[in-house]
Amino acid sequence: MPRKRLKHFEEIVERFVELKNTSELMMDLAYSSVLLNSRELAEDVQRLEDHVDKLHTDFELLVLSSRFRPEEAKGFLGLIRLGVVTEKIADAAAEIAEVVLRGIEPHPVLKLAIEEAEETVTYVQVTENSPLANKTLREAQIPKETGMWVLAIRRENKWIRPKPHTEMKPEDVLIASGYAGGEEELKKLASP
Amino acid sequence: MPRLERIEYKPVSVRELFLEMKNLSELMIDLAYSAALFNDKELAEDIFELENRVDTLTYLLEMEIMIAARDAEDAEALTGVSKVASAADKISDAAADIAAIVTQNIGINPIVSEGFEKVEERLTRAKVNEGSILIGKQIGELDLAARMGVDIIAIRRNKDWILDPEDTERTRNGDILIARGAPSGIKEFKGLVEGKLRKLED
Repeated sequence: MPRKRLKHFEEIVERFVELKNTSELMMDLAYSSVLLNSRELAEDVQRLEDHVDKLHTDFELLVLSSRFRPEEAKGFLGLIRLGVVTEKIADAAAEIAEVVLRGIEPHPVLKLAIEEAEETVTYVQVTENSPLANKTLREAQIPKETGMWVLAIRRENKWIRPKPHTEMKPEDVLIASGYAGGEEELKKLASP
Repeated sequence: MPRLERIEYKPVSVRELFLEMKNLSELMIDLAYSAALFNDKELAEDIFELENRVDTLTYLLEMEIMIAARDAEDAEALTGVSKVASAADKISDAAADIAAIVTQNIGINPIVSEGFEKVEERLTRAKVNEGSILIGKQIGELDLAARMGVDIIAIRRNKDWILDPEDTERTRNGDILIARGAPSGIKEFKGLVEGKLRKLED
């Protein structure tokens, strides 16, 4: 296969992974925004939705410009469908966040879902001298150290859905939830 | 046409329902992408079953919401719950749509699929066979994460699904285990579950 075509396929994979991760991240954040009644998180979800729309268009254009033969069409239709459904998931996440933005306080039946009333969301920046800088989440053991759970990482304009092997870099913003007491601990750890 | 079952009211905690719907829809999405990206029909079939479960939960949740609403204030607050439930239902429908790409034999381009193999974690399902040394063992004591980098994320036992099983859960003959992990670990895991590999290495 010509190198140029191979590169094109690699780009399709890359774009789709970004699209998929962003919509999954939106889903995580949307549920958290309801359970924690956090406007800030809900607003982030809405912002990400615009981003997903753009990513989706880029992805579709990329797939459609693959210059495929008729007998290959099915495999590209599959990709287009994957993109469409992924965007639907992002829309559903945005609908969940909308409930919070409309100021509807979660009904007591739902509030029970929060184990302790004082659970909170916090945004902290990782500084150059932080012990977290250049460590993976698995190495850093943040939940054990602070009781806070990292929901997402914002790196410049990118949003990252955290996995155990994700590395934290200086300047990253960590979005974390947990009991109010852990907030200070996490701040100390991220920006000493 | 598949026969649709009648869903009767039974008292359940809204909180439990809500959390189960959230967890189910998240699992379904993970399974669905893995099924589509790696053309795995068996995984895809599981998703349709989970979707039925989410449908049933949505009905039950709506019933609870109606019973809980006594005045205007309740109605306002419960609309939010209902909205979230309907969005969770949409997410599970989306997962089923993704699975349909596989079951309707559309598939995705094989070269792209190969590309995903390099960057995406693949989920796998394996059925516990009679000869497996895992039978009767607690998930915690197996320590699969440390041994081979594999995590069991769900167990299907007959018609029931156990999501995010506890460390004390014991595997049984006939269980279907759904796991995630690196390709080498997954291969070893499958061997153990199916009884082809008879030794747990450290």
